[in-house]
Amino acid sequence: MNTHPYLRAYMAGIVVPTLVLLLILSAFCLVRFVFHVPVPIERVIIFPMALVPSLFGLWNMFYLWLRPRRHLPIGIHGALLPLLLAPCGLALASALGFLTLGSSGIVCFDQQVIPYQYVALGFTVGLIAYYLIWKYLVGFFNQVLGIA
Amino acid sequence: MNHQNDDDKIRQLLKQNIRPVNQELERDLWPHMLRRLEERPAAVPWFDWALAAVVVLSIILVPSTIPMLLYHL
Repeated sequence: MNTHPYLRAYMAGIVVPTLVLLLILSAFCLVRFVFHVPVPIERVIIFPMALVPSLFGLWNMFYLWLRPRRHLPIGIHGALLPLLLAPCGLALASALGFLTLGSSGIVCFDQQVIPYQYVALGFTVGLIAYYLIWKYLVGFFNQVLGIA
Repeated sequence: MNHQNDDDKIRQLLKQNIRPVNQELERDLWPHMLRRLEERPAAVPWFDWALAAVVVLSIILVPSTIPMLLYHL
């Protein structure tokens, strides 16, 4: 009997970003429709809504495929994902026109400048957050779905 | 004719010695899953607590990291 382990790995992988997406969408609705912030936030939401959950699922499928060949702890495996996600997010944000690279930092919506040292700090924090999320949350869902 | 008899004999022997395949689950697997989940060690190493503290402190001290984190989650 085929137990579809890769389908279960995909399902276990998308749980966390899908739950976080609810928070992001709630914040988006508040900012856009309650506080009437005049920036095109709709363009920002594309990446976390369309790409991130799918990439989490695919990365978890990759973890399952990789496990018998070259076993990495799931936390380390998850911490490698921002190395793929961050350039994709940056490229998409640049393509959609709400983020440009300035001389002193990243410029969002032609208004807010985030200095590069803060970007580096944010990336490092992201790596750590991904390590913890994958080790404890995705690992837990993998165990629940019987693929840990 | 002889060949047909051999086939029948083999079929009969197989039916006698191999249990029929049961497509349905014979028992509820959820209690077993709950036991497995309870067996999981709950202890979190100090290193991971330290990393979680770094994340929380960074978010508090530099709030501009919050949109970056949310954008990638």
